[in-house]
Parts: sequence; structure tokens; C-alpha cells
Amino acid sequence: MSSRRSRQSSSGARISDDQIVQLISKLQQLLPGTRIQRSNKASASKVLQETCTYVRSLHREVDDLSDRLSQLLSTIDADSPEASIIRSLIM
Amino acid sequence: MHTSSKLTKEFTKKWVKGLQICCSSKKDMDVLERKKKIKLCADIALASAKNATTSWSIALISEAKKNDENEILVDNLLGPESRFKQQKIIRQMNSCHKRVRSKKILKKSCSISQRMKKMGPPKSNLAAYIAKRLVKKRTQVLQRLVPGGESMDEFSLIKEALDYILSLRVQVDVMRNLANATEVLNQSNSSNVFD
Repeated sequence: MSSRRSRQSSSGARISDDQIVQLISKLQQLLPGTRIQRSNKASASKVLQETCTYVRSLHREVDDLSDRLSQLLSTIDADSPEASIIRSLIM
Repeated sequence: MHTSSKLTKEFTKKWVKGLQICCSSKKDMDVLERKKKIKLCADIALASAKNATTSWSIALISEAKKNDENEILVDNLLGPESRFKQQKIIRQMNSCHKRVRSKKILKKSCSISQRMKKMGPPKSNLAAYIAKRLVKKRTQVLQRLVPGGESMDEFSLIKEALDYILSLRVQVDVMRNLANATEVLNQSNSSNVFD
């Protein structure tokens, strides 16, 4: 384990810098708000920071949507025909 | 991106299946409990739709399995054909723990030498030094956000984060569509009542 760690920190030769730069640029393309041309050499730390923000916002959206769905499903009228569609689908 | 439409279909199928399992067992759940179940189903469905091809999905499922209540749900969603993948998950769980523990021991023993290094950054490389530290800090934050990220090296972490973001997007889209559809149905239903 220790040898692997020292190998990683010392050389990084297994994974070229180029590959990391490529990955980071791919990540940058995924982030919202960067459709408009950004400078190619956006710093890695900035991209990472925006990635973290984006992941957090996606988590929050999932949470809000589950909340919304839960409330909608609980207020669904038991007898209506439309509700039966949803019910058969989910419940 | 035909892969995302495939993922959408898989996720939707599994999520609906999971919801049927969860919500049929108890008719009267309070809103909070139902919300937790919906979210749990969504997460497990997303991870299992990946079919154990990525680290984060394996980590997510192994995390869910730790809770005994979820065992049935997870087993049902994973499906019988992926039983060997369940073995993979269990093995990954165990290896993860060992890796995290040994990493922690290493970190502690290296902290003193690291502190000495941090004392005197070479002036000529100050900008690079700061940039490096920032990247390290942000990487740590990302590790906490991506499931299973604790035991990944930088390279795999970024790859996993890429895939995780794409999958999260699919999850959000499907959930949003269902919520909108339910809302529309609810509204049309209530307007019918007043006709």
C-alpha cells in the first residue's frame, strides 16, 4: 500500500498529465453555464469547485423532487380515474 | 447520446418497480417517510441501472445494503441475473474498508512530514504551490460528494464524477417528468370535480 502511494505521488507517470487535462476539460463541458466559449485553460481547481457545486445542486434537486412527489401522491384523490393511472403505475 | 436514453429507460423501469415494492407495503405513510422511500428507490434504481459497471454505483448499493430494511428492495431491483455482481459488491465493501483504514494510518504518519514541507514553500513556485493546494482541497470535497469517493485516486475520482453527473441528470429528468405529469393529472382531476 505504501509503495503504491509513493509511486503515485512521486511520478504520476502511469497517468499522464495530458489525460488529466483531458478529463478536466470533459468535466468542464458538462457543467452548466460553460456552453459559451470558455478559455481552454480554465484552472483545474475552478473546474473542481464548480463540479462540487453542481453535484450538490443536483442532490438538492433530487431531494426537492422527492418531496414534491411525496406530497402529490399523498394528496391524490383515491377515486378519480386519473389517479388510478398513477396508482397502478407506482403504488 | 443514445446511452443516456438507455439509462433513462433502465432507471425508469427500476424506479417504478421499486416504488411499487415500497409503497404497496404500507398504505398510510406520512409525507416524510414516503419521501425517504421515493428518494431511496430512485438512488438504488440509478445505481443498479448501471449494472455494476462503475465504482460509485457499487458504493451506493453497498451503502444501501448496510441497512437491513433495504435488503429486499435492493435484491429485487438488482435482479437474479446479477447475483455474482452482488458478490462483487460485498468484496468491494470489504476492500473499501481496508483501504480507507490503511489510508488513514498513512495519512497520520505522513502528517508530520507534510507539516514540515508546508512550512517553507519555495518562493519561486508560490503560485503553483497555492494552485496545488487548492486542487487538493477541492478534490477532497469532491471525494465526499461522489459515493465511494473516499478510496479513489484523483484520476478515477474525476472519471467517476463525470459518469455520476450524467446519471444524476437522468435521475433528475425522470423524476421531474413524473412530478409534472402527476401535477397535471391532479389539476385536471380537481377541475373536473367542479364541472
